[in-house]
Amino acid sequence: MVASALAAPTASTRARRLLPRLGALGFLAVIGYLVLAPLAGLQRLAFEDGSRGYASAFDRPEMAETLRTTVGLALGSLAIALVLGTLLAWAATRLPPGLRLLRALPVLPIVVPAVAAVTGWAFLFSPRPGYLNALLRNLPWWNHLDEGPVDIYSLPWIVVITGFGLTAFVYLFVSSGFAGINAELIEAAQVSGSSAVGVFFRVTLPLLRPTLVYGGFVALLLGLGQFTGPLLLGRTAGINVLTTDMYVAVSQSPIDYGRAAAIGSPLLLFGIAVVVFQKLILGDHSRFVTHGGKAFRTPGRPSRLAVAGIVAYSLVALVLPLGALAVVSLSPFWSGAIDVGGFTLDNFRKVFAESGITDAIVNSLTISIVSVAIALPVGFVAATLLLRGRRYPVIRAAVDFIVAMPLGIPAVVFGAGFLLTYSREPFLLYGTREVIVLVYVTLMLPFTTRMQLSGMVALGDAYQEASRTSGAGPLRTTTEIMLPLLRPTIAGAGALMFVLLTHEFTASLLVRSPTTQVMGTILFDYWGNGSYPLVAAIALVMTLVTAAGVLVATVLAGSDIFDKL
Amino acid sequence: MSHVRIEGLTKRFAGKPPTVAVDDLSLEIESGEFVVLLGPSGCGKTTTLRSLAGLETPDEGRIALGGQTVLDAPGKINQPPNRRRIGMVFQSYALWPHMTVRRNIGYPLRARRTGREQSREWIEETARLVDCAALLDRYPAQLSGGQQQRVALARGLVARPDLVLFDEPLSNLDARLRDQVRAHLHELHGRLGFTAVFVTHDQSEALALGDRLAIMRAGRIEQLDTPQRVFEEPATEYVAGFIGMSNRLTPHRQGDGWQVGDQPVTGDLPVPRAHAEVVVRLRPDDLQLAPATGGTPPAGPPAGPGAGGVSLPARVVDAQFGGRHMDVVVTVAGTQLQAKATLAAHPWVRHVRRDDLVTAWFADRSAIYFDAGGKRIAGHPAAAVGA
Repeated sequence: MVASALAAPTASTRARRLLPRLGALGFLAVIGYLVLAPLAGLQRLAFEDGSRGYASAFDRPEMAETLRTTVGLALGSLAIALVLGTLLAWAATRLPPGLRLLRALPVLPIVVPAVAAVTGWAFLFSPRPGYLNALLRNLPWWNHLDEGPVDIYSLPWIVVITGFGLTAFVYLFVSSGFAGINAELIEAAQVSGSSAVGVFFRVTLPLLRPTLVYGGFVALLLGLGQFTGPLLLGRTAGINVLTTDMYVAVSQSPIDYGRAAAIGSPLLLFGIAVVVFQKLILGDHSRFVTHGGKAFRTPGRPSRLAVAGIVAYSLVALVLPLGALAVVSLSPFWSGAIDVGGFTLDNFRKVFAESGITDAIVNSLTISIVSVAIALPVGFVAATLLLRGRRYPVIRAAVDFIVAMPLGIPAVVFGAGFLLTYSREPFLLYGTREVIVLVYVTLMLPFTTRMQLSGMVALGDAYQEASRTSGAGPLRTTTEIMLPLLRPTIAGAGALMFVLLTHEFTASLLVRSPTTQVMGTILFDYWGNGSYPLVAAIALVMTLVTAAGVLVATVLAGSDIFDKL
Repeated sequence: MSHVRIEGLTKRFAGKPPTVAVDDLSLEIESGEFVVLLGPSGCGKTTTLRSLAGLETPDEGRIALGGQTVLDAPGKINQPPNRRRIGMVFQSYALWPHMTVRRNIGYPLRARRTGREQSREWIEETARLVDCAALLDRYPAQLSGGQQQRVALARGLVARPDLVLFDEPLSNLDARLRDQVRAHLHELHGRLGFTAVFVTHDQSEALALGDRLAIMRAGRIEQLDTPQRVFEEPATEYVAGFIGMSNRLTPHRQGDGWQVGDQPVTGDLPVPRAHAEVVVRLRPDDLQLAPATGGTPPAGPPAGPGAGGVSLPARVVDAQFGGRHMDVVVTVAGTQLQAKATLAAHPWVRHVRRDDLVTAWFADRSAIYFDAGGKRIAGHPAAAVGA
């Protein structure tokens, strides 16, 4: 009986063996094209005509200054974010039991779209009509000033605003790092005679070091890729960073894609280096494994100082800029004085009356939803391949790398690459919503894959194996076991990506056309026109859309949804 | 029913260093037989089981289930689990939390496209068999550990598979429940007569359940035999250690007699002349203690030298009260030995103290003798004494 089955594999078994491999290869080809084609296209242009793009980008005398500003902005904002984020995460562990909900506050600035936050800060600290500047000029030692004392349009303040924006990311990383520390390690140090401060510096901080290094690298990448702040605040004072330089090269005549590509290369290289570093050093999916042992419990008593710190930070980082937006959006025009009597809803009426703006809002919503609907299955396939593709180690490694790239490479580089790739044959998509969908799906690849992967890792193998040994094939196992069990994860990932996409500004600004706008880009156009009350109203609408998305996300996936980023 | 044949199964895991989890393992299982794979963690028993299920991709070997070749590594055949007629019970039970008990149990039938009427009948029949007919409309999260265990068992059996695989299914239960479920499983197997492979590291589970035991070590089967023979005649020292012969003595010949370290042994060991050094394995129950001053042991035949008894001077290290017995740890020439002394037979043991001098002795036939390589010394009569 055994002998009969020793014959060569039949055609059907060979097909069964070959089909999944072909499927995996096809999938790799699609996401590979999506991610790599724009980057490769940019580089090809930059090297054309004997590297003319590189020559024109790096031979200019301003380039040194731009590079210095870029690095300074990144390092400065990183320092602010690391200190603030770590302190806030520490404070969050010392909240009294009744006030645990305050833990969510430092995350909320992520929810506010970057364009909205930056314009909000501008309304507060613009040298002449900024509300807080006007308030500060009442102080005796500043009452001789006509403007200032803060100039939001200067590099130091751009660094501070950017640092505030990055703080929430560091906070998330460090908080999850705290959650991974076994409480008994801390208690052992206390029992051995360390004070609370001693425990923090001798035990907690060293244990957090891997988290801080990784989170620091991510924040540094984000800092190097910062676009919104420098664009909205720095352009008037001639403060340029690589990203804004790139934008100028592709949006103002003479349009020079080669130069833009060359300008983006340092960011591209650094991004790839960080992704490679992360894959090599941090290795497999150990980051996603849930930690055993007792959850982190803070040493020492709950602290009022912690509550005060978190509340103060949220006031500054969230309430101030949103408040400024609200005031401006209700005022007929923006001046240093607040005239409550003159408040009007006219600006909101205008927002919903102007077809350009409503079109942009509808575009944002539909494009985001379509992109999420595409990104979810793509991420599911990628995560499945990463988790179970042991038979195709090369394909798996390639997918792993490609999927991580949009996290390392600034959106402005992708935006420029997409603009270039899809403005020519074979895919003439310039000015369509489709090209924005493609960019959005590409940018979401890391998030959709990671979140679903961590959901799958948390489920473990046993449910699937039980299904397979019960006689079910891969298809039935996916539809009847995996999808129902992963539903909260998938719903949460979808809602979170919706939030990130309705925020999206950088890549959208590069691939949009005057007739195909999204919320962020239309806001930018009105900012350029100086219609500040309308800008404020649009920013608030954007924030509300996002807030609704966040609400849905937390209901679907639980309040720790941001920890999975 | 089925006949399972494993030939030359080998599974290597990449890593630093690469490990051979299963090493050229061959095993034949008769139809209706209950075979237990027993061994410590890392011995390859679970990998063997998962290879039978089709959940691993072995590097070499062939597996045939009921005449159907499901694995033929040289011929590049490895049928996926759903193409093998198997049932499996997992250590974590792996009951799908989003399905009721009825849907959980019925899943193998749905997956194999069994008719609706027959499915209903089989689900209810199997649920009755494992005493969970009343739980059919609950969700797994509403069940206790023991109930989940029974549902998992029902799911493994419901489709009447050719082979049922058990991956340490009792290890998540508390001790009392484990004994109940074990008895129940034994009874079920007697009633239904399915072919089973059961993986465990618990020797009492293995002895109670198995028609045959395969004691595994480093990816190979060290001994394959009935529980009685494994228990009474362990083939190697490793097997003896694993099934409870935890006491280990290494005496060597000195003149006409034997010595452990520098301590002379009273009595002779039933070992052929050719062996100058042996390894003695002995269960704690078979090591008896007597007061050192009493000379010969007061109780228990055969007493004294020359009558098959072997005695050694020993010093008490610790004594723990165990209800009807005392667990006494003694040291003989630097070697620690454990003795389980029943209080009814040896009331004096109740009062032993640390550093008391005692005589440790055992009937020479209750011990098993191995050469330095761990092989049982040939020619030794098999029977165990006073079990």
